[in-house]
Amino acid sequence: MIKNRKFSTSLFVGLCLLFQYLPIIVMVIFSFNSAKSLSNFKGFSFYWYEELFKNNELMSAVFVSVSIAIIATLVSTILGTITAIGLSKSKKIVRQIVLQLNQLPILNPEIVTAISLMLFFAAFKVDKGYMTMLFAHIAFCTPFVITNVLPKVRRLDPNLSDAAMDLGATPFQALTKVILPQIKPAIFTGALLAFTMSFDDFIISYFVTGNGVQNISIAVYNMSKRINPSINALSAIVVFVILGVLALSYIVPAIVKKKTTSKVRKRTARIVIALSCLALVIGIAVRESNKPVLRVFNWGEYVDKSVIKAFEKEYDCKVVYETFDSNESMYTKYTGGNKYDILVPSDYMIERLIKEERIQKLDWSLITNRDSLDTSIMNQPFDPNNEYWAPYFYGNVGIVYDKTKVDEADLGQGFEILRNQKYKGNIYMYDSVRDSFTVALKALGYSMNSDNDAEIQEAYQWLANQKETMAPVYGGDEIIDSMKNSEKAMAIMYSGDAAAIMAENENMDFYLPTEGTNVWFDGFVITNECQEVTLAHEFINYMISDENALLNTLEVGYLTSNKHASAIAKEEDFEGNSAYGIRTDLTGNDEVFTYQDNALKEKYAILWTKIISQ
Amino acid sequence: MKQYKKLVIPYIGWLLLFTLLPMLMIALYAFTDGTGEGGAMMFSFTLSNFTKFFDPVFVKVLFKSFVLGVITTVICLALGYPVAYLISKCKERTQTLLILLITIPTWINMLIRTYAWISILGSNGIINNMLSAVNLPPATLLYTDFAVVLGMVYNFLPFMILPIHTALTKMDPSLNEAAMDLGATPLQTFWKVTFRLSLSGVLTGITMVFLPSISTFMIPKLLGGGQYALIGNFIEQQFIQIGDWSFGSAVSMILAVIVILMMAGVSKIEKYTGQDQEETHSDKKSKILN
Amino acid sequence: MKKLIQLKNLTKEYGGQVVLKGINLDIHENEFLTLLGPSGCGKTTTLRIIGGFEEKSGGDVLFDDVDISSLPPYKREINTVFQKYALFPHMNVFQNIAFGLNLKKIDHSIVEQKVTKTLKLVGLSGFEKRAIDQLSGGQQQRVAIARALINEPKVLLLDEPLGALDLKLRKEMQLELKKIQKEVGITFIYVTHDQEEALTMSDTIVIMNDGMIQQIGSPTDIYNEPENRFVAQFIGDSNIVEGVMLKDYLVKFDGQEFDCVDYGFDDNEEVDVVLRPEDLDIVELGQGKMSGEVETIIFKGVHYEITVRCENRHYLIHTTDYVEVGKKVDLNFYPEDIHVMYKMGTY
Repeated sequence: MIKNRKFSTSLFVGLCLLFQYLPIIVMVIFSFNSAKSLSNFKGFSFYWYEELFKNNELMSAVFVSVSIAIIATLVSTILGTITAIGLSKSKKIVRQIVLQLNQLPILNPEIVTAISLMLFFAAFKVDKGYMTMLFAHIAFCTPFVITNVLPKVRRLDPNLSDAAMDLGATPFQALTKVILPQIKPAIFTGALLAFTMSFDDFIISYFVTGNGVQNISIAVYNMSKRINPSINALSAIVVFVILGVLALSYIVPAIVKKKTTSKVRKRTARIVIALSCLALVIGIAVRESNKPVLRVFNWGEYVDKSVIKAFEKEYDCKVVYETFDSNESMYTKYTGGNKYDILVPSDYMIERLIKEERIQKLDWSLITNRDSLDTSIMNQPFDPNNEYWAPYFYGNVGIVYDKTKVDEADLGQGFEILRNQKYKGNIYMYDSVRDSFTVALKALGYSMNSDNDAEIQEAYQWLANQKETMAPVYGGDEIIDSMKNSEKAMAIMYSGDAAAIMAENENMDFYLPTEGTNVWFDGFVITNECQEVTLAHEFINYMISDENALLNTLEVGYLTSNKHASAIAKEEDFEGNSAYGIRTDLTGNDEVFTYQDNALKEKYAILWTKIISQ
Repeated sequence: MKQYKKLVIPYIGWLLLFTLLPMLMIALYAFTDGTGEGGAMMFSFTLSNFTKFFDPVFVKVLFKSFVLGVITTVICLALGYPVAYLISKCKERTQTLLILLITIPTWINMLIRTYAWISILGSNGIINNMLSAVNLPPATLLYTDFAVVLGMVYNFLPFMILPIHTALTKMDPSLNEAAMDLGATPLQTFWKVTFRLSLSGVLTGITMVFLPSISTFMIPKLLGGGQYALIGNFIEQQFIQIGDWSFGSAVSMILAVIVILMMAGVSKIEKYTGQDQEETHSDKKSKILN
Repeated sequence: MKKLIQLKNLTKEYGGQVVLKGINLDIHENEFLTLLGPSGCGKTTTLRIIGGFEEKSGGDVLFDDVDISSLPPYKREINTVFQKYALFPHMNVFQNIAFGLNLKKIDHSIVEQKVTKTLKLVGLSGFEKRAIDQLSGGQQQRVAIARALINEPKVLLLDEPLGALDLKLRKEMQLELKKIQKEVGITFIYVTHDQEEALTMSDTIVIMNDGMIQQIGSPTDIYNEPENRFVAQFIGDSNIVEGVMLKDYLVKFDGQEFDCVDYGFDDNEEVDVVLRPEDLDIVELGQGKMSGEVETIIFKGVHYEITVRCENRHYLIHTTDYVEVGKKVDLNFYPEDIHVMYKMGTY
């Protein structure tokens, strides 16, 4: 009977572990995939591991994640433990107040903690980067240590420390020799929890970092547009390392005698402390450099990294390169106190930045490659005289469809095809207020910038009806990979992403509805606070040169503003790719987004929330 | 031992600086109607941000978040308690190993693990490929309620197991023997003694699962196909997409107040179970000793 | 008296280590039996096997002539008072005591009545609503006893229950336990390492060492007639001397031959001889059987504790008469004061 119970015990725990490890196993397997897909295994290769070690951005993210996790764990464990010991002796009122405050970071949604810390650092004009991230991590890790350690401390015999001191121990010795050994398991659990929280944190880190410092989570998030299996390789390595260490720590004590292990343990503890001090020093030192620094804030996966490196070399400077995933998060970070020299916003955001006087006029005399720019896309309504922006990439929003599943004849319906019952449950919408309303407004024949209440209501009805009758899936950047994998028949897609999909899946095609769609432009702007104005112009000029524009467009898949480069790309890599050549003629029904004021934005947002939550 | 009291001082300073002050800034936004355009500090007192929230749309979002949170928590508890219990019955070394094994997955980036679920559950994913390999009809798994709950349970399960396991190992085994001795069957012993005494761990687990599961937005977004407007999503939207920091702050505060009220209720339960009394009494004792 | 519990050749192994090496013991109805021995002797293990918390490795455990070794604890008519009481911290005094009855789904008014009665028995009337941690050690002890007794078990097991109490309280509780046992009229099996406690309370004492029973007997038997050196050493102070039994009624130790009352040994068998300190008298030089010099004298309240250095060893003497240190004296004793024991191997 006992054996039976043992068996069912291990079966249950085993199944639970399998559940926990299933995605990790999948991840490890796909890290050896020769193709880029995360769901289709094409063949075995170490390609992504090579890519990983070549990827400086990822490697430094690994360094940041690991060093911050170790230091934050160390500091918060020490701080939390001594606080717990102090709390156990302090007055009830003090303890309760401290504990209540201590609960705040645990109870609050992470996004609130994140924003509050961002506001805090901004208010005190703290330069964001490694140290701010470290402090934030300590701030949210320590409460977990305290809540773990305090109960254990309070269960201790209050006479223990007295006894030790009676025997001649100083208070410090009493602490380290008597109290700490007793509460060691709780401290260990607390430290483990702190490490876990810190290592995997995304939201808080994202808002309190700056100056190009990013951890693994931020790197992954920024990569989501072009899922890069290197990140799987990285995670696989993390898994292997942890399992290796675990296996060692499980096997070694069995072989080595206990006395030596305690010595070894002490030695390892010292090594860990020394390493983390080193990491801290390096972390601080990384920022120290005499070269001029250019801080660029660009979309994720929106450049060929080699171009940036070449620029650094040629102009003997350091480019602190950070990425964002939406105009709005870029705006929030920028206005939240992060300092940048160059931003790459889209049309309506450029309009807003101009209105709010946050960017400075360009000195076109420094941008000698201007002549290579496609003049047909210049002079847009948001900046009619090109005083502020230099175009980088541009494109449309259209429908990617699977030729094997979608009847070409149905495409004549334009956006209405998204309400065609034939494709029920087989479409992706874009999980964004503006893009979704664009679809509806355009399907109804209105302007996508409409501020007319009746039109907006009608568009809302359209989308609500679509959700009810079509069961669409509202996705983000992850649908790029899903479409490469033929997950659904149709998806609303940005043209550059569509081009990437079509390059990998020959069944896919791109369609721009005739009733008009969004034409968008992303361009370089220089901030007011820019310290290196000349260098910033040189950077812009460098990026749009024939040679570099070609490298960028081939890497990214979006249509470049450089006419020579785009001509070459169209003839070579993107030959016959309908998503690469797009419609920019604004005389028809196509439009560019205009900036919406808060009231209008909120009106749309509330309706969108209604649709999603219906 | 009185000298240890001073050990609290550094952290009090830390809390004031890195927790209270930032929170006050949020509160400042919540009670004012500055445009919130990034640090434009034009404040005038208002309650409109709070009244605005009581629109049926938003209340529904809040309600849905809580429902999903409750479902996730219940499943995590139903799965996590037995696991924690079984682990606590193992040898000490095995226990350490198993607890580490359960912790390790949480060190892998949450997004990466969630992407992995997409490739497992997708209509051309691993499960469906296996189904079609044995000539079974494909199953719709991704972008369903099932997928969302699965993803949430997957992510938060370790945070249920760990505190329960800690509570169980802290327990004096002679209490179980005493109950059996007094005529309680193993089931009765478990229910009347073991479970009651592990309640503190259960409550910690519930907190650690429930709180993040009502405010998370990545998992429902990725696995639910954006069908879920949850409160975390909503706050993120206010802060980042719309830029109405005042409204975002107000919603955060409403959420925080609800959560804190719930936690107060939870600590009442804790008191009822006698866990807290023990502590207050030892306070008294140490006071007498001083 | 009827045999209630019989242990037959009981053995127990933990991972290859034998902690019980064949225990044979009969426990009778209404008996106060004490398992006495140093820590690690197997007394607690024996108790836990009777209680059902450990499985035996070999032998039999009979209760009313029925083998109970496969019965779980909750099906045995035996209750236990645990070493650290094991009171449920999440219940108050009433809930703790009523625990067993409530499990049996007994009517609430009866439970209340019984709890009140039992609390009175242990001297804790009016403590019903107290939380466990608001009780002193002695009070917790009484609750633990009440919680076990209320179930009217046939046997109560007590595992060093007084160990955590101070001396005065311990003495009080000893008497009280004895009184309670008399009142409820059930068998108590008591585990302790405190010989005085055992002598005070028990009807029967079982001395254990190294997983084996050394002697079973009444307190007086054990004290006066220790069966071997271990028992003699463990119970009370004694002078234990190696000697040779020349023949019946004649023993030789310290180079002299003495008349004694013991017989039945082999001739010239090596033996241990016990001389209890209170049986030795100090007399003037030349009037006793052995001479020596007073080395120390300690006042013990009722008597003096004196060590006298003789030719071969020191002797311990308890007497009410004062003697000066350094004085040359003789020691006197009578044949019936000499207690001869079989020699045992390793002590």
